[in-house]
Amino acid sequence: MSTPSVTLGSGPHGSDTPSARASTLDRRRIKRSEAARRRSASRLKLWIGAISALVVIIPILLAQLLPLPDPNAQDLGNRLEAPFSAGHLFGTDQLGRDLLSRVLHGGQISLTIGILAVIVSGLIGVVLGSIAGFYGKWVDVVISRLLEAQMSLPLLMMLLLVVALFGPSIPVITFVIAIAQWPEVARLTRSLVLVEREKPYVAAARTLGLHRMLILLRHVVPNVFKQASLVILLLLAQAVLLESALSFLGAGPQRPFATWGRIISDGQDYVTTAWWMVTVPGIFIVLLVIGVNLLGDGLRDRPRRTKGLVALLSKGKNR
Amino acid sequence: MTYIVKRLGQGVLTVFLTVSTVFILIRLAPGNPAVAYAGPLATSAQLAQVRKQFGLDQPLIVQYGTFIRQLLSGNLGTSYSFQAPAIQVVLERLPFTLTLAFASILLAAIVSIPLGVWMARRTDTKKELGVNVVSIAGQSMPDFWTGILLLSVFAVVFPILPASGFATWAGLVLPTVTVAILQVALISRLVRREMAANLAAPYLTIARSRGVSERALTWKYAMGNSAIPVFTALGTRFAAMLNGVVVVEVVFGWPGVGSLIVRALATRDYPLIQATVLITALLAVAVQLVVDLAYPLLDPRVRLGKASAS
Repeated sequence: MSTPSVTLGSGPHGSDTPSARASTLDRRRIKRSEAARRRSASRLKLWIGAISALVVIIPILLAQLLPLPDPNAQDLGNRLEAPFSAGHLFGTDQLGRDLLSRVLHGGQISLTIGILAVIVSGLIGVVLGSIAGFYGKWVDVVISRLLEAQMSLPLLMMLLLVVALFGPSIPVITFVIAIAQWPEVARLTRSLVLVEREKPYVAAARTLGLHRMLILLRHVVPNVFKQASLVILLLLAQAVLLESALSFLGAGPQRPFATWGRIISDGQDYVTTAWWMVTVPGIFIVLLVIGVNLLGDGLRDRPRRTKGLVALLSKGKNR
Repeated sequence: MTYIVKRLGQGVLTVFLTVSTVFILIRLAPGNPAVAYAGPLATSAQLAQVRKQFGLDQPLIVQYGTFIRQLLSGNLGTSYSFQAPAIQVVLERLPFTLTLAFASILLAAIVSIPLGVWMARRTDTKKELGVNVVSIAGQSMPDFWTGILLLSVFAVVFPILPASGFATWAGLVLPTVTVAILQVALISRLVRREMAANLAAPYLTIARSRGVSERALTWKYAMGNSAIPVFTALGTRFAAMLNGVVVVEVVFGWPGVGSLIVRALATRDYPLIQATVLITALLAVAVQLVVDLAYPLLDPRVRLGKASAS
């Protein structure tokens, strides 16, 4: 164990290494170039992602401060004005309402719902997933079956039904999206906890007489939390898409402002005469979701300090 | 054999849970189906009549019992708005949805498998990064929006394809493409991951040193081992894809189950909603079952009895 760490640890300076080791070095060089490429790719993704998400998020956050007309103020004299017309950067809709203002104010609602939904689904998912993974046996069976059952269903019908029954208010829609998303978090957390609970420190804690619940809460969950939290950005992207789909189908929030899906569905009737009504909110959705997806992807691909041999090597080099 | 029984049992359980959830949700909700059916101008006598007619005056548990009994005999009540058996109304629409769904998954498979292989052979190059970013974009577009854009380009600006409905087979093109875009983005990334892992595996180096051609290496050796996860994914994606189909059906006025449920929700047509949820759930579960049972055809190592259900 110590011998390879010493020889390999001498790293690039080991020019006097016997030729028998040359192949190992070559392979390492290739590895490093691959890792370097992957790092630059992930950095590129992070940058593009951050920029395209912020292009959408910053104006949304500033919507109240920008000099915009009221999003619900109708102006029947200026219906279906084209973009870049006087006072309306992105034009107006069929009731003369300013499209940019509507998109930004609607975006606040969409984003709020998305973030809340991710928090709720994350909580449900981490709790149920870690319980299933840690306790195993029948608890695991029940939760896993529930999870599988839900994942094998075309859920949108069910979500539409819930919204139709309980009304399209923001809490209902948030809840519905959270319910749609928890299985993903739960599955991930469960698999992470399954690995974690076999580690010696859990056995040690148990030997010390710690209650199982305490071991789970204080030791296991904090250890898996970082890995599990990487999925959050991807969930946020999905939540925004799901909200827009619900809203397009007429199951989105109406008050205080219509959200993006609703604006697009209104615009669908005018697609031949007023292309901007469909295009503009769509571009907002796409930019935001691409941005968040790329951020999530870039974070996931970012080469981490890997355990095992590689960590050993890098330690050797630092010394 | 026991495996098949177990999987069937799971499927039945899933469907049963779905239907029960629907039943409970409907009864928990504010709003009254009798009012929805009889209209806002109905007198209280008429309302009572309607309630009695649909059994809504019974206690919940009795209603549930009736519901389960009817369910087992394949009868989900009469649709309020169609005045016809709900199951029948849904089944009439089902072929349209199935056509769209299978056309989409076929298109998605045809495009995404070669694309994924292409990406896997060029992992971590600039080209691959480009395609990767494009596929993330494809994954990030709301399907209804893509649908409307495609529709306005290919049916309005250049009127070469029909905009809506299902009069000719050409009407299938735009909805299918719309549904498939998201699936291509997702499946090609999966194919890439599986293939990249297999292409880097030691057995492939050995095969290469024996002089097997690159083409055979990719398509026979690596693909043979990637097929199962990819095929499973196609099965599990089917349920998620039905969601997309629902939305896209509404965009294109497709006469399928999706546009039916949106209408049923607007009129609070409870039997119809239940029938729709039940039949789509059955469909998704059945597709997944078929995929699971087809494993041994793809991988001779898998014996159904030994496969673990997780």
